[in-house]
Amino acid sequence: MASMTQRLKPSWRNHPIASHLLIFHLVMASTLLPSLTSAIPSFSSTMHNNNWAVLVCTSRFWFNYRHMANTLSLYRTVKRLGIPDERIILMLADDMACNSRNTYPAQVFNNENHQLNLYGDNVEVDYRGYEVTVENLLRVLTGRHESAVPRSKRLLSDEGSHILLYMTGHGGDEFLKFQDSEELQSHDLADAVKQMKEKHRFKELLIMVDTCQAATLFSQLHSPGALAIGSSKKGENSYSHHLDSDIGVSVVDRFTFYTLAFFEKLNMYSNASLGSLFHSYNPNLLMSTAFYRMDLYQRPLDEVPVTNFFGSVMKTIHTDSPYRVVSSQPKVKESIFLGDDKVKEIDKRNIKEKRCSFHLWMEFLQKKLVENDDSDIIVMYGFGSMILLLIVSTLLSA
Amino acid sequence: MEEQKPPAARKSRLIVRLGSFLVSHSAFVSVICCVAGCIALLLLPVLAKNTYVSENALMPGSANPMFSNQDVLEANRFVKDIYEKRILKDGSGMEIARLIGKHMEDVGAEVYFHKFKYHNLRFHPLCFFSSTPRTAVLQNSSACTLNGVSPVGIIRAPRGDGKESFVLVTPYNSENIKWNEALSLGLAYSVFSLLSRVVWLAKDIVWLAADSRYGEYTSVASWLKDYHNPIFSSDSGKIGIDMCFEKTENHVEDESSFDGAAYDDFKRAGTMAAALVVKVMDKERSERDRVDIYAEASNGQMPNLDLINIVHYLAVHRQGLHVRVGTFGFLINSVLLKHVGKTLQRLTRLAESLNPGWKLGVNSADFVEGTATLASSMYYQALGVPTGPHGAFRDFQIDAITMELSPRTSLTNDNGISSFLLRGGRLIEGVIRSVNNLLEKFHQSFFLYFLTAPNKFVSVGVYMIAFALLVAPLPIVAAALFSSTANARSLTAISNSKPTNSKPVTRSGSWNWLHSAKLVFLVHLWAVIVSLLPYFISQVPHTNSTTSMLSWSLSSLLILYLLTRVTKSYIEGYQWEVLKSVMIAAASIGLSLMSIINFSTAQVGSMLLVPMCLMVRPLKQPIQVSFFLAALLKILNILLAVVAFPPASLAILKGCLRGFESINIGDFWEWSEFLWAWNSATYLFVALVHLPCWYLCVHILLHN
Repeated sequence: MASMTQRLKPSWRNHPIASHLLIFHLVMASTLLPSLTSAIPSFSSTMHNNNWAVLVCTSRFWFNYRHMANTLSLYRTVKRLGIPDERIILMLADDMACNSRNTYPAQVFNNENHQLNLYGDNVEVDYRGYEVTVENLLRVLTGRHESAVPRSKRLLSDEGSHILLYMTGHGGDEFLKFQDSEELQSHDLADAVKQMKEKHRFKELLIMVDTCQAATLFSQLHSPGALAIGSSKKGENSYSHHLDSDIGVSVVDRFTFYTLAFFEKLNMYSNASLGSLFHSYNPNLLMSTAFYRMDLYQRPLDEVPVTNFFGSVMKTIHTDSPYRVVSSQPKVKESIFLGDDKVKEIDKRNIKEKRCSFHLWMEFLQKKLVENDDSDIIVMYGFGSMILLLIVSTLLSA
Repeated sequence: MEEQKPPAARKSRLIVRLGSFLVSHSAFVSVICCVAGCIALLLLPVLAKNTYVSENALMPGSANPMFSNQDVLEANRFVKDIYEKRILKDGSGMEIARLIGKHMEDVGAEVYFHKFKYHNLRFHPLCFFSSTPRTAVLQNSSACTLNGVSPVGIIRAPRGDGKESFVLVTPYNSENIKWNEALSLGLAYSVFSLLSRVVWLAKDIVWLAADSRYGEYTSVASWLKDYHNPIFSSDSGKIGIDMCFEKTENHVEDESSFDGAAYDDFKRAGTMAAALVVKVMDKERSERDRVDIYAEASNGQMPNLDLINIVHYLAVHRQGLHVRVGTFGFLINSVLLKHVGKTLQRLTRLAESLNPGWKLGVNSADFVEGTATLASSMYYQALGVPTGPHGAFRDFQIDAITMELSPRTSLTNDNGISSFLLRGGRLIEGVIRSVNNLLEKFHQSFFLYFLTAPNKFVSVGVYMIAFALLVAPLPIVAAALFSSTANARSLTAISNSKPTNSKPVTRSGSWNWLHSAKLVFLVHLWAVIVSLLPYFISQVPHTNSTTSMLSWSLSSLLILYLLTRVTKSYIEGYQWEVLKSVMIAAASIGLSLMSIINFSTAQVGSMLLVPMCLMVRPLKQPIQVSFFLAALLKILNILLAVVAFPPASLAILKGCLRGFESINIGDFWEWSEFLWAWNSATYLFVALVHLPCWYLCVHILLHN
């Protein structure tokens, strides 16, 4: 909501007719509104007001089934916790569901019990197959797209956004392999995050990586507001959790499995903190040591609910009327019409919808016209009022 | 000369100085290198590493097998059907092919019958290294009895792209089918019918029931040739398969009609990712069902090690089978090897007690077994003849192995056979499922290796050390001989300025070696002619191996005599040292070339050739060492000259293995016939490198 008003603001300021009505408008508006213009910037820079998720599976090929399952599981979780599809950028490097080796065509499972098909009806894959490249990921993060790229494939975050960046694939010391052909290096990632910070594309960023030696990927980060968690430290491997002997491949990685296990207990209204998520990882079960990097993050983790990143739950601001900001906006416009009486036919429809003192006066006149039969008096009143209006408007326009 | 050398050597670069140092100590270097090479070869079983599945995509055994007892029942039923048809057969063996084809069709496969003409393997001088044996096309061979007929079924992968396939081959003799062949057909059929129902196929499955009445290799090779060389001419369709079936239908009038033309098209299914030849054998009883893996293809080519790895992994860790690869049994009982093994064991214990960090862990029994397996692996690679029908696949760069399954019970024991079929079927299914996961050709693991156990291998990086050490002295000794004669000559030229020599002009130049080179070239020319002689001898009808061998050797000697007579004036005036130097150079070039074509041949050949080349010197020439050493050198020279003569070495080898009474004059002819029939480059090595080298050595020995 705040972002909407923010976007409208410039156009209103530059309105040619409105420029000379400024005083009149301020008199009218100041009585009805709290000081909106001053409130907007400070409001959005401090408040978390939207959530985005970028979920990336970087590896191809059938034997990397689990990476796609990991990503789809995370996709399902963040969707369940309230991030809408339009705010999730899902990048899948391969289509396991339609792989001819898949024993369950068009289905993807992350557990050998096959209870949950992750590849149901509502999966929107934004980048798929060979579109999943380092270049495209960096473009998504930094927002430097070609003009033809549709909005659904862009990360349209702002300075009030909390972004979850989840990546899984095969990695090594300071890199993450993309598609067997290229790699994302830690300084590429750090550079992208820095650009995002400079372009006010996020308020807080949680980077979650499930690869071997995931911790090394964060070593170059130094943008404030970034929080990073990786499945393993330098020199450690990340292992798959279990093998589905029906499908014949490993279906989920350990780190993601235990992340999901943590989230399965939660719903949108849970108050579990990021700290509790981070402490839920047991190195013995993971067979690696989960690594957190929080020196760039200001808030104490125990006070940050996981839904700040994995869901779309944010602080509610109490206001007096539900649509105050929206209803106040047309009022500003309407005050313009009040002065521009000569062209009122053009905007008659707009005016009709609104209720104001002038409307009431018109209605009153109409009522009199219907009720009373001495219409001459009413016509005279009408003329009188029109003359009055004419005088006022000429005075104003002079 | 000696006074001039040091300043020049100081100026020259290190590598030159090192080279001249090696050359000046050539005798010492060559002894050290040869000994080290032999020790390295002996230590190969110790240096063997455990195999591991290198390709991530394969994931053997990650899926549960779907092959069930139901499939075993189906297999049993099929085996009985086929075995009953044996009685009905009318001589052409077409009934079984037809039955297999019908069953293939019933499970929903595309079926056709591949017919091929039997061709005798002939000697073709220009046919070495070619992909397939050249077929001698028989004219007017319309009779079906001259052709083999192999039913082929193709299952298309339901959601695959149809660009790749996996081939399953079961050879059977259509004229005289045995129970074990029927069992292998039944096993393949049950796996095939299971695969027609599964949803996970990404590669098409081709089942070739190869008609092996003219040999297993022939039918598979001709099918592969037709698969890869499409024939578009119309004459290929003249002898349709329907003709053969019409003939049989007159005898058996049960089925309504059999549209043979529909089964005549050669159908294909993409490039072959891998192939598996499955045979059921009746071997000696053991406590577990057993799998024998044969992998050697022509000219020592091996399938990718990953294919052997997955078969071994699935057989041992999933189905509990006993896996074996070829072994020389007589080496396991060898007393000498056991002694070597025990000595090694003691030495490694000593080393471990000195430094506990070294974990060598040499076990005497393991060493002996490893050596026996390594010897077998090396022998079959060196021979260059495929050890089974899988060799035909390797000629098209397809990885293939032969699996010989043998049950622990007798073949007629129903219970034993059922559990055996269950294990075998699951093994085949597992291998197919694993290869099905493959995305590219096999490329991750090794192609150049020796096996020392089913799960141990020696890779090329290790085994070439032995060969390199053996071959290294050759160029050094050649250079040393050449430079020493050059020095001696210049010294003599200085000492007596007006020599009594009759040809001072030719002797003074550095082109002296050309005289020796002429002789070497002449001998090599002779060897080429000798190697081509079998082409003419084999044309002569009604000969046995003994007469062929005799005519071959007599004609060789005749040609040698004629050649030396004709060129007598050209090849005079050489020194034996220079001749030896040129011979060694030629031998080292030949060995190095051969090591690229077939490493094992070069390795085995070098073990005979290198000591002979290095030690040879005229018997009549006095030598300035102790009497004992001189006598030893002479004896060794004579011994090597006898042993290294190819027919003699073959006879000795055969005598050691099978007893000396079995030696026959025709053996060598048979052996070389066997080699050229299979286009083995070993024949070329023996004829073009080994034989001239041996002749030149004898020539030097008898030099006066």
